[in-house]
Amino acid sequence: MQQALLKHQWQQAAGYMHSYLQVLEDWDVIKRQAAPEIIWKLGSEILFYHPKSSVETFNTFADRMKNIGVMNYLKISLQHALYLLHHGMLEDASRNLHQAETWRYGDKSSSQEVLINLVQAYKGLLQYYTWSKKKMELSQLDEEDYAYNTASQSMLNHSWKTSINLCALIQIPGVWDPFVKSYVEMLDFYGDRDGAREVLTNYAYDDKFPSNPNAHVYLYNFLKKEKAPREKLISVLKILYQIVPSHKLMFEFYRLLRKSEKEEDQKLGLEVLFGVLDFAGCTRNITAWKYLAKHLRQTLAGNRLAWIQELWDSRKNWWPNFHFSFFWAKSDWKEEKTLACEKALVAGILLGKGCRYFRYISKQDHQVLKKKMKRMKKSVKKFSIVKP
Amino acid sequence: MCGQLFLPRCTSAGQARGRGSFPRVAQSGPNHVSTRHPGVLGSRTVAQLVQRMDFPDSLNPTLFMTGPLGLSDVPDLSFMCSWRDALILPEAQPQKSENRVPPDLSKSLHWEPQTPGPFPLLPPGPDPWDPGVTAQDLLFRGDYKYRRQPRVVLDVTEQLSRFLWDHGDIAFAPLGKLMLDNFKLEGAPSQSKKKTVVSVKKLLQDLGGHQPWGCPWAYLSHRQRRFSILGSPVLGRSVTTLLGDTLQEELALRWERLLLDDAFTGGALAWVPGRIAHVGQLVYPIGGALDTLCFQEVTLSPAGDPQVHGTPGHIQLRGPVRQVVTRTVQGESLLAVRSDYHCALWKVSKQGQPSPLQVLKVEKGATGISLSPHLPGELAVCSSSGAVCLWTPQDGLRQVYKDPETLVFRDPSPWRWADFTCHPRVLTVGDRTGVKIIDTQGPPGCGLLLFRDGAEASCQKGERVLLTQYLGESNPESLHPTLHLICTQFSVYLMDERLPLVPMLKWNHDLPSAPLLAQFLPAPQPGFPRPLLLGGQGGQLQLLHITGDSTSVLRLAGPPQSLPSRSDSLSAFPLLDPKSHRRLQERLEAPTIGLSVAIPPSTSTPALSVFQLSAAGDIFQQCLRLQADPRPVDEPKPDSCVPTTSWSPHVTAHCSRWLNTLLEVVDTPPVWTAPTFSHRHLLDYKPQQGVEETVTQSLRTAMARGQLLRQKDLGLLSTTELPPTPESGPEDELSERLEAAWAGRLAAWWQKQQGQDSQPRRQPKRNKRRTQLSCTFSSLSGHLDFSDATSPPHSPDHTPLKTRPQLPLTPTSQEVSQELCIRGVPTERQQTLRDYMAKLPLQEDTPGDSSMPPSQTSSLWSSPSRKQTLRNYTAKLPLQRDTPGGTPMLPSQTCSIRSTRSRQQTPILSGSQPHHKKARMGF
Repeated sequence: MQQALLKHQWQQAAGYMHSYLQVLEDWDVIKRQAAPEIIWKLGSEILFYHPKSSVETFNTFADRMKNIGVMNYLKISLQHALYLLHHGMLEDASRNLHQAETWRYGDKSSSQEVLINLVQAYKGLLQYYTWSKKKMELSQLDEEDYAYNTASQSMLNHSWKTSINLCALIQIPGVWDPFVKSYVEMLDFYGDRDGAREVLTNYAYDDKFPSNPNAHVYLYNFLKKEKAPREKLISVLKILYQIVPSHKLMFEFYRLLRKSEKEEDQKLGLEVLFGVLDFAGCTRNITAWKYLAKHLRQTLAGNRLAWIQELWDSRKNWWPNFHFSFFWAKSDWKEEKTLACEKALVAGILLGKGCRYFRYISKQDHQVLKKKMKRMKKSVKKFSIVKP
Repeated sequence: MCGQLFLPRCTSAGQARGRGSFPRVAQSGPNHVSTRHPGVLGSRTVAQLVQRMDFPDSLNPTLFMTGPLGLSDVPDLSFMCSWRDALILPEAQPQKSENRVPPDLSKSLHWEPQTPGPFPLLPPGPDPWDPGVTAQDLLFRGDYKYRRQPRVVLDVTEQLSRFLWDHGDIAFAPLGKLMLDNFKLEGAPSQSKKKTVVSVKKLLQDLGGHQPWGCPWAYLSHRQRRFSILGSPVLGRSVTTLLGDTLQEELALRWERLLLDDAFTGGALAWVPGRIAHVGQLVYPIGGALDTLCFQEVTLSPAGDPQVHGTPGHIQLRGPVRQVVTRTVQGESLLAVRSDYHCALWKVSKQGQPSPLQVLKVEKGATGISLSPHLPGELAVCSSSGAVCLWTPQDGLRQVYKDPETLVFRDPSPWRWADFTCHPRVLTVGDRTGVKIIDTQGPPGCGLLLFRDGAEASCQKGERVLLTQYLGESNPESLHPTLHLICTQFSVYLMDERLPLVPMLKWNHDLPSAPLLAQFLPAPQPGFPRPLLLGGQGGQLQLLHITGDSTSVLRLAGPPQSLPSRSDSLSAFPLLDPKSHRRLQERLEAPTIGLSVAIPPSTSTPALSVFQLSAAGDIFQQCLRLQADPRPVDEPKPDSCVPTTSWSPHVTAHCSRWLNTLLEVVDTPPVWTAPTFSHRHLLDYKPQQGVEETVTQSLRTAMARGQLLRQKDLGLLSTTELPPTPESGPEDELSERLEAAWAGRLAAWWQKQQGQDSQPRRQPKRNKRRTQLSCTFSSLSGHLDFSDATSPPHSPDHTPLKTRPQLPLTPTSQEVSQELCIRGVPTERQQTLRDYMAKLPLQEDTPGDSSMPPSQTSSLWSSPSRKQTLRNYTAKLPLQRDTPGGTPMLPSQTCSIRSTRSRQQTPILSGSQPHHKKARMGF
């Protein structure tokens, strides 16, 4: 059956499945217990891809399967709901989840609890969709209107239910981005800023959670919207910088640091830029090179050679080959002249006039960039940390 | 520990060292990686480039648990089905979710193989190939006492006895030499210490040059018995303890290697792209010892068919090649080769000429090598001592990490692996229990676990890391610069280095052998999912479709696809006599040790050319084409069940040529010589001429031939003696029989066979049982040939292993279950499901009994009466189910029919999918 599935022969697989169902009454207990899960796994896959299956067939199958393996009820319900969601049947999915939520069997084990929480969270998410839809409608309505009041009333009801559904799950360690996002949005809408902040802080800083960069991003965006003081923002981004030094928010972090008057922040700014450019995915990021060139010039003008030396020491044995090789000089010049100029300036400052990248670029003749080139050569002459 | 360098540099130091080596490359045009995929990389704006390092806005919900692996209480929330990944949580704005496009693409995504299986690209090498020991050789062949859970028992006794038998001189000679001084060979006959003194002379005379056991005619004299009793405290113990220990060790080692041979992790086949987009070189080892590195130029047609040019270039190495890695960094093609104790680096020029840069000696044994995608010529080498070294031709070797212990928990395997990450100074270090990210510039010992073999990734019990791979590419435009692939024997994980421990994607691949090879390929067309090719050691290939750019979550687009393996291409070869057939089959089933994919220049339909290297040194190739037309979901594929491709005459002709070359190589089995007994020159023992000598001789011949010495033969000694031929072996009975049949002497042959069968009294019981079983099967399958009914005496040894444990197992359990079901165990559950599945549209052309799956219908018995019974039975079945309380039918009769049916079904199922004894690595 698996082979048929892997060869995309859905009809054949359906045939095999038909005969596999016998396993359900197998004498072997272990086999019999494992069977519902296999049947569900493979059966749902067949039905998902089978050219002739429909949503109705899937629904019947899922309903039957739920009652066969008692232990699998919640899992199947959840996936069934997702399937419905996928087919755009939000209400059916919601009903399904509601059923699952009220289902109980035997002792409540911890895994069941987690699953129920998850079911509730998904339900909450669905409610959130309806809520945000209503919000959209509301924004189109006139405030004086009678309809506005009723609509906002129902929205309130909704959100209260939803938040209850969502908040249980996000206490459990995990990656709950969509849930947290919607939960915070709702809390924020009703003015519970402290609650929202608490949720986000918890999500970002709790040790039990995996170090999810998004958690910090959400917190930062929230604080930014709140117009929190710069120090606060910097401290949030500092942690993000520790986790993901290549994140796109690093540029914002850098700008924040530049605005700060503190010297150490300036130094950190330089470090951030070097850090971003360390990554292979960022080597052709012109913003980073531009910032770096400017910052280097200013730092050197401010007689802070030691900062650069310190950062450069760990990089000087591989940056030349990584960034400033002859190959890159050629291809950068060919594809993006401005990038090449910025890089050449940095190369000239860090490696001196003799460096291949700088030599190659400065030898090129270009009408439009002539002025820029001249300026570049001058500043290299003036600032280069390598004394000839 | 990575040892000293010894540098037979073949290029001048200036060329290899420093930056001086780059200008030549840079002058000769742009990076050819970008020329290969102009559509993907050509016109990217800066904004798009910046986005490559973006992190998805919101990730899939995942539960995060910490703890050891195999926690049963943890619900495995996600990752249950492949389609689950196709489901995207709708965006926050509901209107978006409503007009979301249903992923039509994912349902019709299919790489269509152009031939039913891969076929050989190059003629077979001149060296004969020996498949080596099989599991069958090592396992205990006795009765299975624990039928429910057949346990693997290594048969040390048999190996030991074989060793003593084959290498008696090694086993006993040293001992004999030691004792020689204290041995009085000429015992004085007058001494009367009968109980304690054994005359060696007499003893040796008794032995007379023949072996005591293994032969039913063995004769033990009193003297021998006494000697063995007397000598056993000394002789027995010393031999068995000394030998047994080493043998056990060796056996365990062999067995482990049989289960998982991790030497070829990463693969020993590489595709080095050339100057022109469709020309490249395949680099692979050849020769019996795989110690010659070959460079074969290959041209790809736009359809993906490779054409071989000229004879390959050779480089002779001093050890077997285990891994070949290639990368093109900044326009420079580099080739790194790992052998057991050496690593070497070559630079491949634009013209395809390799020039050696450096050789490195690894004293403790290298387990992995990888080339940096960022800095040209940088390598990470890891050794089984747990050390990881960064190595550049300019700066030499630098140890960056050392930990003899495994990362997460203790695991005996010395396998280590290292690869690069998005940051050129940060490496991943992996072993069987996890993968760690280490900063080579930071203080030693610090690091961050990227993958933990535990509850974080909801690993199963016994799950171990088999392969880790950095999926980023050497150009900055690479789509997923932070992704890492981690393969275990059960699942594949895609990890993002920015979010350690939480897998971005997990897929249970269910490959029957260890996935030691993987290739992440560029998207065939912009917007298409990227194929991820997994290769199992047993030759199975699986293709996953990974979609999601840096701003969205990674997921599987469409169901994974399995590609034909080498054993599927048996049909391309002409029919053969059984012996050659077996040889061909063995050759085709040789483990895969290399996998490489070349992408032909883009045409309207994207194509892939998949190359595989087998342990026998053959390269097989297969071409895949993307099914371009996304058909609407309602319209079923008309031919989805029938294999659409067939062998083209060109390919079959090629295959038969290949086969001819293969069969020309004479497969000489190692010549076995009977142990010689050198007592004769010690003693004045003069063997009697005449009958006794011929007996000894014929015994030796029989031993050489591995056959029994029959009394009949002894009587006719002078006439029937034949020189031992290399072909003679037990498996040759069939050809013998055929020969007899040709000569019209079949009846005589049969008589002889029966005579032979009745002679040996010690035929194992197991044999009898199998005979019964096979009797059942053959009677069921209709062609009751009287030669099949009694299995040939030697066949048990050559039954494929996988079928053996199943045969006694499955039918019994199913039989009983059927019995239970008929005795009235309520079947509503099963009934509802079955009815429901029956509604599913099966194949249209299945006539009449739609309740039966096609496989069953096709394998129905040819005997009409039996078929009729089954029809009747199936017709009655629903009746019976409607009245679950009473049993109107004769239970015994139905039971027997059903049980035979299930029996007959078992081999079919087990043939396609060995379910009961999966070749899981025995952790």
